Amino acid sequence: MTLALWNEIVELTVEHVVLVATSMAIATAVALPAGILLTRRAPLQRWVMGFANIMQTVPSLALFGFLIPVPLLGGIGKHTAIVALVLYALLPVLRNTLAGILGVDRAVRESAIAMGMTGRQLLWEVELPLAARTILAGVRVATVATIGTATIAAAIGGGGLGVFIFQGLASVDTAQILAGAVPAAFLALLADGGLGWAEKKLSPA
Amino acid sequence: MTPLVSFRNVSCRLGGKDVLRELSLDIEAGETLVLLGRSGSGKTTALKMVNALLLPSAGEVRVEGTPTAAWDAIRLRRRIGYVIQEAGLFPHFTVEQNVGLVPRLEGWPAEKIRARVHALLEQVELPPAQFAARYPRELSGGQRQRVGVARALAADPPLLLFDEPFGALDPVTRVELQRQFLALRREIGKTAIFVTHDVREALLIATRIALLHDGRLDVLATPAEFLRAPGEEVRAFLACLDPQGIPA
Repeated sequence: MTLALWNEIVELTVEHVVLVATSMAIATAVALPAGILLTRRAPLQRWVMGFANIMQTVPSLALFGFLIPVPLLGGIGKHTAIVALVLYALLPVLRNTLAGILGVDRAVRESAIAMGMTGRQLLWEVELPLAARTILAGVRVATVATIGTATIAAAIGGGGLGVFIFQGLASVDTAQILAGAVPAAFLALLADGGLGWAEKKLSPA
Repeated sequence: MTPLVSFRNVSCRLGGKDVLRELSLDIEAGETLVLLGRSGSGKTTALKMVNALLLPSAGEVRVEGTPTAAWDAIRLRRRIGYVIQEAGLFPHFTVEQNVGLVPRLEGWPAEKIRARVHALLEQVELPPAQFAARYPRELSGGQRQRVGVARALAADPPLLLFDEPFGALDPVTRVELQRQFLALRREIGKTAIFVTHDVREALLIATRIALLHDGRLDVLATPAEFLRAPGEEVRAFLACLDPQGIPA
């Protein structure tokens, strides 16, 4: 393996990680508060979960394509890729936030209220700590999926390890496809292991 | 003197059903009033109206002379201890954190909370050295329930509410905790409202028994009067004491 190729792998891997990390940060920043809000607004749950479910069913290559002509969000390049990846990552985080908080034992919630906790204290001291593992599990699932989906971002100029894969496909060069696919697989395993470890570290309820 | 808690023509509709109908009842300071009744008789609903977990659809519940609807719900609840079945302890808090919760919410200094928690754990016979650092999952059902009682007592509230606190315990532990409850009451003499469907438990711990039937107050009597009270529902409950055909 030439040094130039090696450098390119490192460069694209970093790009890939930045793409995934940015998308996950935005998705979590949106889905976590939205999920909390939804636990307080039961009638909205169907609509929002429905939207998130639909986003998930759109094939990723199609979604990237659809976004290109969209003003502001779309176009060619990184930010379009991030918009698409965020849309994909929303559902698992949202669903697990909802499931985690609604899954808190009824008796525990009732005692918290009866002890005179305010709504904010109930959320921060009881609901979020008890839901933390479930929420983090959602982040983990979304992160691993995003690492895979992000390889397609190269199709619309988003960069990342997908660049190798698309080049390799175009030139029927298996080695080049692997240069993109193998590091991506490693990233996914790493993220899965790391977040899985953090999940276990969180106080078991 | 105004009664500590007063129900005045209280009705409650939940999900289109009249759970409680025109309940009027005074609870004086120092007494242990037992709300006795079958499942669905409205006893838990009545209890939850005292600390404003539920509000009346009609009538009013007064605590220390003020209607619950007019109380700041947070202030009211911190003045009332609450113990439920299975204790409802916070699984991510240690025993010490569970018991010290209301004092902490009330902003007590850490040292004072610690002293209070340890004194309470001694009082419910859970030596702090052994139990303070444990998590609820590391306790037996009876121990959890005693932590629940200690937690309810923590900020020294004038009133305690018990919602079938011993309902899920085995019979032996149950009798032990009932004895402890009586001993504790002699010691600290707090007012308590206690929900149960167990007539034996009611007769043992009550100063007065309020029998609820279909959301209405059927009988209000001391345990001695209750044994001689007329009415079908009373007899149905008393029959549990001496089931026919089963040798004692």
